[in-house]
Amino acid sequence: MSSGVYKIGLLIDEKRYEAIKNLPFASKMKSMFGGEIRMLEVEVDEDTAKKILAAFPSARVDARGFLEDLPVAFKSALFEAVVETKSVGKEAFEKVFQKIDQIKEAAKKEKEYVPPP
Amino acid sequence: MYAPLEPHGGRLVYNVVEDKDKAANMAAGLTKLEVEPTLGPDGAPIRNPYREVMSIAYGFFSPVEGFMTRNEVESIVKERRLLSGWLFPFPLIFDIDEEKLKAAGVKEGDSVFLTLKGRPFAVMKIEEVWKLPDRKELADAVFGTPEKNGEVVKRRFDEKHPGWLIYRMMRPVALAGKVTVINPPSFKEPYSRFWMPPHKSREYVRQRGWKIVVAHQTRNVPHIGHEMLMKRAMFVAGGDRPGDAVLVNAIIGAKRPGDYVDEAILEGHEALNKAGYFHPNRHVVTMTLWDMRYGNPLESILHGIIRQNLGATHHMFGRDHAATGDYYDPYATQYLWTRGLPSYGINEPPHVTDKGLRIRPVNLGEFAYCPVCGEYTYLGISYGDYKEAPLCGHTPERISGSFLRGVIIEGLRPPKVVMRPEVYDVIVKWWRVYGYPYVTDKYLKIKEQELEVELQ
Repeated sequence: MSSGVYKIGLLIDEKRYEAIKNLPFASKMKSMFGGEIRMLEVEVDEDTAKKILAAFPSARVDARGFLEDLPVAFKSALFEAVVETKSVGKEAFEKVFQKIDQIKEAAKKEKEYVPPP
Repeated sequence: MYAPLEPHGGRLVYNVVEDKDKAANMAAGLTKLEVEPTLGPDGAPIRNPYREVMSIAYGFFSPVEGFMTRNEVESIVKERRLLSGWLFPFPLIFDIDEEKLKAAGVKEGDSVFLTLKGRPFAVMKIEEVWKLPDRKELADAVFGTPEKNGEVVKRRFDEKHPGWLIYRMMRPVALAGKVTVINPPSFKEPYSRFWMPPHKSREYVRQRGWKIVVAHQTRNVPHIGHEMLMKRAMFVAGGDRPGDAVLVNAIIGAKRPGDYVDEAILEGHEALNKAGYFHPNRHVVTMTLWDMRYGNPLESILHGIIRQNLGATHHMFGRDHAATGDYYDPYATQYLWTRGLPSYGINEPPHVTDKGLRIRPVNLGEFAYCPVCGEYTYLGISYGDYKEAPLCGHTPERISGSFLRGVIIEGLRPPKVVMRPEVYDVIVKWWRVYGYPYVTDKYLKIKEQELEVELQ
């Protein structure tokens, strides 16, 4: 892994938007593809990225430096932590890592089955 | 320079015996040896050499006729050349356990009867029995290291790299020699309608009257960025007129967890012509059996060989070609096809060098959606001291395949400017079958159990 800051993109639908619209970072949200998707970009430092990649074997860094192929359970937990800590920084990740075993457990099931839409 | 070009090495291999009596004679009295998968550290199947037997025997890898000797493997890792001098990027190794070799009691000069899932499959004439060196060193030698291959290797390969892991996990002894399929398998659905080996593919190209055929490598369900690459590459390849067709060739085999399942890849590409985004007279979807090595520039040489043998005149190469993670420079393949890779012993681009390829590259950067232009635009390429300017002056929105996978797994339908709805429907169709849209360990196990073929 090269040095530098990585990112995780959290997809924001209407329900999630309601939860964060009044937080300071809500204005940083990106509208994509003609507004059909909104995304909140959360920065990830080198150490945290390493911990995440070690916790989830299918995760990887893509061409843009985004951590991708993360379990849905991890992304949901990260979003909840962002709301809870009102932060898109280290505090949010600390919150997530407090229950990483639980997330890994959920992710294990998710690796085998996610209900189709 | 019109399609089909001469096969790599000058002769198309077809070591397949269809005559049942002849096949029975070839196998009579031979020791049986079951073709076994390579397993990862957690026991998940990461390769089945049957796919290599098929690709060798049906001519996809022409002029290669069999599994490699120690000298040939050394030549490959030193300068990516077969002993005959023809360019070839990867060692093809038939590895077995020492105990199994002892039990079989076979030696150099013997022939061995290969079975697959207990059924008759192929015959190998054993030219050499050799011991593999340290497998970690072998894997590093195959893929390169940042110290030795710093022009394109950015990070040391490790267990997370699926191709490196294949060599790392090989068994300690190798059998080298020519392989002949003596019980041609039939393909299961949906693979059967995409199986068009080189002799058939070349005939198809001739029948269609295609002169300029651009190959598109895929291990992905296509998003619109891929579609733009295919369509624009066809025009680039044509030169003074548009090219004739795009030959999509999907790599089918064990893949990294997180990639799309093989069935969705094939049917996703097929959906593009079924739904009219490509006219079927200008587009065909076929497949090659191979457990991907994710070797970016090295894999691009193999792709060039396969598609030249399939009858294509050009090969499109995009950003991060056949890559995973950030081991290679994203434009390592373009580096190879414009400058060569001297640290791998390739001093000129593959289509320029002696005993190299005849297929020509179409090196492209990314296409991305520009909300201001309201269309897909070209972002350009940059590597080393080479940098192309983007086509428009706005800020287009790049599509990353893995970003898109994230959208899908969260249950959202991708925007139409990102993925054709018919392609998304194919993903959901196979999601319903496997309970998951992407490759999982469970999928790999099912795939290993069932394979793509049936043998009588």
